[in-house]
Amino acid sequence: MDVIPESQQLDLRSDPIPPAPEPPSSFHRSFLRRVFREDRFFLILSVFIGVFSGLSVVCFRYAIDLCRMYFLGSEITAPALRLMLVPSLTGLVIAVLVLHVFPLARGSGVNQTKAALYIYNGYIPFRTAIGKFITAALAIGSGQSLGPEDPSLQIGAGLASALGRRLRLSRDRMRLIAPVGAAAGLAAAFNAPISAVLFVIEEVIGRWSAGILGSVVLSAVSSVVITRWFLGSESLFRIPQVELTHPWELLAYAVLGVAGGLASLVFAGGIAVLRPKLKAMPRWTQYFQPALAGLIIGGIAALGAPQIMGAGYSFMDEAIRGQFTWQFLGILAGLKILSTILSFTSGTPGGMFAPTLFIGAMLGAFIAGLEHLLVPHLAVSTATYALVGMGVLFAGFLRAPMTSVFMVLEVSGNYSIILPVIVANTVAYVISRAFWKTPIFDLLTRQDGLELPSMEEQREQSILRVEDAMRPFSGAVLDASLTIAQASQQTKGFTTDYALVHTTTAGWNLVKVAQLASWVAEGKSDLTLHSLLPLRSLPYLHPDHPLEVALRYVDRWPIVPVVNRANFSQIEGIVSKQDVLARYQELAETD
Amino acid sequence: MANPSVNDSQLSWYSAREPLIIMALSAGAIAFFFAVLALSQFFESHQSARADEYFQQGTLDLRNHHPDLAVNRFHAALAYSRDSYSIQLSLAQALLALNRTEEALQYLTNLWQREPENGMVNFELARIYAQKGDAAQALRYYHDAIYAIWDQDQDSIRRSARLELINFLLARQLHGQAESELIALESNLPQDPELITEVGGLFMQVPDYERALTLFVRSLKLKHQNPDALAGAGHAAFELGQYKTSEHYLKSAMAANPSDSASAQLLETARLVMQIDPYNMRLSASQRSVNVKDAVQTAAARLSECIANKPAASSGMAGLQELNSHLSQLQPKLRRSAVDSDTVDEAMGLVFDIEQQTKELCGPPTDKDLALLLISREQEGN
Repeated sequence: MDVIPESQQLDLRSDPIPPAPEPPSSFHRSFLRRVFREDRFFLILSVFIGVFSGLSVVCFRYAIDLCRMYFLGSEITAPALRLMLVPSLTGLVIAVLVLHVFPLARGSGVNQTKAALYIYNGYIPFRTAIGKFITAALAIGSGQSLGPEDPSLQIGAGLASALGRRLRLSRDRMRLIAPVGAAAGLAAAFNAPISAVLFVIEEVIGRWSAGILGSVVLSAVSSVVITRWFLGSESLFRIPQVELTHPWELLAYAVLGVAGGLASLVFAGGIAVLRPKLKAMPRWTQYFQPALAGLIIGGIAALGAPQIMGAGYSFMDEAIRGQFTWQFLGILAGLKILSTILSFTSGTPGGMFAPTLFIGAMLGAFIAGLEHLLVPHLAVSTATYALVGMGVLFAGFLRAPMTSVFMVLEVSGNYSIILPVIVANTVAYVISRAFWKTPIFDLLTRQDGLELPSMEEQREQSILRVEDAMRPFSGAVLDASLTIAQASQQTKGFTTDYALVHTTTAGWNLVKVAQLASWVAEGKSDLTLHSLLPLRSLPYLHPDHPLEVALRYVDRWPIVPVVNRANFSQIEGIVSKQDVLARYQELAETD
Repeated sequence: MANPSVNDSQLSWYSAREPLIIMALSAGAIAFFFAVLALSQFFESHQSARADEYFQQGTLDLRNHHPDLAVNRFHAALAYSRDSYSIQLSLAQALLALNRTEEALQYLTNLWQREPENGMVNFELARIYAQKGDAAQALRYYHDAIYAIWDQDQDSIRRSARLELINFLLARQLHGQAESELIALESNLPQDPELITEVGGLFMQVPDYERALTLFVRSLKLKHQNPDALAGAGHAAFELGQYKTSEHYLKSAMAANPSDSASAQLLETARLVMQIDPYNMRLSASQRSVNVKDAVQTAAARLSECIANKPAASSGMAGLQELNSHLSQLQPKLRRSAVDSDTVDEAMGLVFDIEQQTKELCGPPTDKDLALLLISREQEGN
């Protein structure tokens, strides 16, 4: 065994994996310098991505408003014929554009960003961003029941990707640049930087690291600064302070969570069933699908529910202000689910964030009206329920529980609502997960024939730990101060080949029982184990370490001790290569 | 990086050109920013023109008492200028006109959060909470409205707000707080006889008759023939027991407004009080005796009537019987032509007791009985 100088021995209180210092070379200096420069440059670039995305989203919002104004007129409600003709005729134009000019504009921006990250090395054609801008502005402006957030996200991601390619970023950076742009686009669309950052981390990237977080935050913040410059810094919705007079009131919000969870199931189920059927229809029908969806939506609007057209933010505001009867709110929630399913599954470009919020707001206000009717003494605020409802649908339908909580806080600028939001969102999320295994974004990906990592599945995945593979140590545990004779004596009666040796200076060591006998034969019985054993210490593990950490050592050492975190001299067990492999094999057989 | 060294050849493409790239990106961002700014200005002006158009129409509708139409116009205006403070305020006012209080409250609360110092928003919120009967909130918003910044006619609007607050407090029987507000209002009243009379009337409700009389007199100095001020002054003087002054003002009030029946009745009572008061210093001894005897006779009649109308077992009857007994004992002393001062006091004491107890047991007195009761109060005060 090699003897390693004491200065390089493992400190028992430090990480069990000793760092491996490498001799500095000119290549490494250059490499480190390059990485450092790229890191710094990537952060600066994130700010520019945020600025460009913010400006693009502002233009996109203006485009939607102008389309709406010119297509549907400047009155509050357009004549019935116009309500029906505009979305259907615009649907025809959109279909031609999507089928012949911008084929990738169809579909979810979130999934395309994820695909760029995991499959295409950060590549999103710039043409797709332009296509999304034009087609989504036409669709939302003409009254299709879709929202501007998902297209904004994709515009941001597309811009960032184009910029990254132009600047010849490394492959690692290129992979990350699309999510950075996506965060900027989403933050600008919602005027909510925290939610955008969380959503991108929660649903697109799926992992936290300082480098990613820094870039995503910088891009989101800079895009929101730009958006607020042009569109104002007011919260999307304003509600009065929420005061819970009694903890039991949270139960009433849990009821909203249940309703939201069930509505999410209907919404997701509708898309899951209808989308593949419409996609499977002959290609020529795809020219007419957006038009037909537009005609049905226009018809519903003409019959008395124009609120379902477009993103519907102003009507969410009206619901919050209690301007609709509770019966009409329920009808609006149902009709919006129907119209959004039609718009989205017909292949019309546009997002589902705003419709989700709309359905949630209407459902929340509806539940408030219903609870007020059934339990008149309950202090029910329509505004609060509408806002909590938005979060509930976000958690239940989009399955982004963390984002849903922060999104509600950010769009209302009201922290007092947090308890009801957490309770209701959790209930909705749990119900949705229990009855619908695949989150909507994963479902859409699989329908499109892609297999992207599911963030929810990753979160839920059970991790094998060292404690799952370790076994008790049945050999002798010796102290390094023992003489060889004493040690040899203590190993008698044990059947194992190895004994573990505990040294006060170097932690744990390993000695073969046969080696002890050999030292006795050589006349070294009076020498101590400490004097004969190499100073290099044995690596050790803790029971909670991921099992993959053990793989780094089990190949080089016959057994690796697993020690208690609080008392390093206490052996919890050992692992060997066979133990680790057997555990993995067992897991594979179970799956 | 201006002079890249040989080692820099190993750096990546962008690293070697970093300053140039940053400059190019900055230039691009600035150009894009100004392009969007131009677009934004075009868009904003278009939106603003639309919003203005609807806002003007809505304002006109509201002025012409068509709040339903106004609400639609203001909603349309808000679609083009979502954050407009004035449109939201007008919409809230139109909703209030339609009694859609809760919706109006939402808008006003939002506006208050944006500008807590806005007078009109505080004023409207105060009115809503006053209507809801929430005295604490109403008081808070009325005060905020009073001390808020108003763009024009600040003093007049502040006075209106305080007057509304006073009326609200009086309606809630919060007389102490109302008096404090009235004193604050009085200190800053303009030379407007109508307003001064109105405030005098409010002091009457508190009641603070001295301040009320002062204000009515002040109003009359500005406008001599103001029937309300004359009647108010007469009433205030009456309540203060200044019957001569009261008679003076009430006579003038009657002259200015002959149909003022309340003043006529008050004048009659004031005259009666002065006429039958045995403590009037100007009376001769014989006339005082006559007045005392007359007073005893009036009280005796009132007592008899009260006893006759009350069931024998009713509460207080024992007291009335006792008074009747005292009255019988007093009668011999009153048969003399000149009544001495001790008898005057004894007789009038009994009369006052009778009038007060019969008032409590048999309802409010009228005519001479009322006059005697007023004299008794005056004497108690002295």
